[in-house]
Amino acid sequence: MIAVKNLQKRFRLDNKTIKENRKKDPNSLDPREDGHWFNAVKDVSFSCEKGKVLGLLGPNGAGKTTSLRMLSTALQPTSGQIIINEQDVVADPLVMRKSIGFLSGTTSLYHRLTVRENVKYFGRLHGMTEEQLNEQCEKIFDLLDIQSFADKKADSLSTGMKQRANIARTVIHSPEVIVLDEPTTGLDVISAKTILDFIESYKNSNIPVIFSTHHLHEVERLCDSVVMIDEGVTKFSGALDEFKALEPNGNLYDVFVNLVSPRTQDNKEVV
Amino acid sequence: MLKVYLKELLELTRDKKTLIFTILLPILVIPVIMIGFGALSAKIANKAVNENLNYTVIGQSYYPELSKALADNTTLVFKALDKNVTAEQAIKNETIRFAIIIPDDTPFKLTQGLTAEIEILYNDSSTTSRIIFRRVESSLETLEDDLANKRISALGLSQEQGEGLIEPIKLIKNSTANKRESIGEKIGGFLPYILILLALSGAMYPAIDLGVGEKERGTLETLLLTPIPRFQIVFAKFLVIFTTSFLAVFLSLLSFALIITVFGPMMFASIGNDGNEAMTEVLNSFATISILDILLMFLMLVPTAAIFASLLLSVSIYARTFKEAQTYMSPLMMISFLPVVLAILPGVKLDWVWASVPLTNVALAIKEIFKGTIDYNMLFVIFGSTTLVAGALLYLCSWWFQREQVLFRN
Repeated sequence: MIAVKNLQKRFRLDNKTIKENRKKDPNSLDPREDGHWFNAVKDVSFSCEKGKVLGLLGPNGAGKTTSLRMLSTALQPTSGQIIINEQDVVADPLVMRKSIGFLSGTTSLYHRLTVRENVKYFGRLHGMTEEQLNEQCEKIFDLLDIQSFADKKADSLSTGMKQRANIARTVIHSPEVIVLDEPTTGLDVISAKTILDFIESYKNSNIPVIFSTHHLHEVERLCDSVVMIDEGVTKFSGALDEFKALEPNGNLYDVFVNLVSPRTQDNKEVV
Repeated sequence: MLKVYLKELLELTRDKKTLIFTILLPILVIPVIMIGFGALSAKIANKAVNENLNYTVIGQSYYPELSKALADNTTLVFKALDKNVTAEQAIKNETIRFAIIIPDDTPFKLTQGLTAEIEILYNDSSTTSRIIFRRVESSLETLEDDLANKRISALGLSQEQGEGLIEPIKLIKNSTANKRESIGEKIGGFLPYILILLALSGAMYPAIDLGVGEKERGTLETLLLTPIPRFQIVFAKFLVIFTTSFLAVFLSLLSFALIITVFGPMMFASIGNDGNEAMTEVLNSFATISILDILLMFLMLVPTAAIFASLLLSVSIYARTFKEAQTYMSPLMMISFLPVVLAILPGVKLDWVWASVPLTNVALAIKEIFKGTIDYNMLFVIFGSTTLVAGALLYLCSWWFQREQVLFRN
């Protein structure tokens, strides 16, 4: 189980941004800007049970990626708690990394290595033996339909193939939780379907999956629960049915738009 | 850490740019340039020694014997100038290479036993001008000797007394420096410059690739999320850059040694006997360099390569993009070379103060090792201070690597 409580992350603004902000109308500034600081995530809380899929929603710049990066230990929270299977992630990130499989939205592969070499390399870094690696590779490569290009160098692959390889790399060490940041963005229908099927295969397992997305049909298909973030704050956290019930017509698009702040809507950064 | 090191090394060996800069450049390109440059220099020198030189003499009638002495040299070809063309113009438009101008008071000075001042007009800015001057001078040597002997006889002096008259005091050069020291002083000045340049260029591309390259490609974040302490990741990357840097120096020294022993004699032989003698002298001097000295030179380059590896990795990690990293590299190269240039300046010698200045100390030490005049106690200070700087830079690099502001700058 994953539990995130009152997560907060602030970054120091560079001098150029501070100077530019001083010239702007204070009302036009992002409410998260606070003098020399930018509160990318102000207060985010959610939880996800084992075998469930949680969809993380929010407009661009809402704080989704920052939240997921804290969850994956890439960033250290300013305050708040992240608990995975009753263990504090913030207190011991090095140990907890073994339990997390994180796919960043900007990740890529080592392009001079083959898919197999890429995946095995990360498995080795997680302390897996060659035997475990071979066994796990075969299993994941079959699930993600990678076998046909497993021994091709990463720079010769299509975007969809690369993303499938990235996901294989994310789960090679059999993590206890899986966190995926926009895993289907920019993919064709077939590649996206393979990835969604793969996420679905974790349902009813003992592994919780969190994934952020802008595609509401993916949420409808896969998610058991939803958390929606806007301007660094949790706007909704609960079951998918409860989320849909926020609008009489149950349309996810309408629910999403109505939860987003007027300022964000004015900036047309929705979905 | 070893897993990261081996993977980075494997990836680099699959990269053409790294192979070119780290392996091919030191092994092939530099030797090819050196051989090519040597062969070209030899060809130019040969041409300047043997080619026919057109010349003219102004005021021939004042000293016909001089004109005859020049004419006796078959490689000097007399050319009469048109009346409306001056000697300067003829040299400028390359009709002639030099002109001998004999003043009208020459017969008087010769009969009175005075010094006749004969002018040679030539283009001194040419690279082979010294050779031209030497050829003219040697053509007139016999004439000059005959004239001197006649004057000595006229004074009723013996040959020895005559020589004493011409040169009352003769300063005989007798250097306490042995051949190795003397050659080391000449070659040893630029050798560290080349070695340090190679260490830097060998580290540069891998540093960019392993730092900002990984950041830009999006693989760094994933690597940071593995259960490997960040210091170990930094250290593995540092070791890879250090390996390529040191490999570049090692391979170039190896190929340099091969060139000197295999191609060197051929190159020098093409110049003639003088070249052969010079080559033998250089080889004999090199033969006195012991294995220990060579190992010491390598030992000096270990912390040097470490300094460059950690410095370049820090810069590479800080940069947002490949392009930004490249813009930092030029000033960094200039700053890195300042201490090396200091070592070439006259008066800068290896003492306890300079031994503690990083890079300058290594450049000075390599020169001293090459000359065979190194104070071995000094090496401890040099190695210690350079290692200290390399360690501090590695610590900075590791600290840099922990910072979110640096890692997620873009």
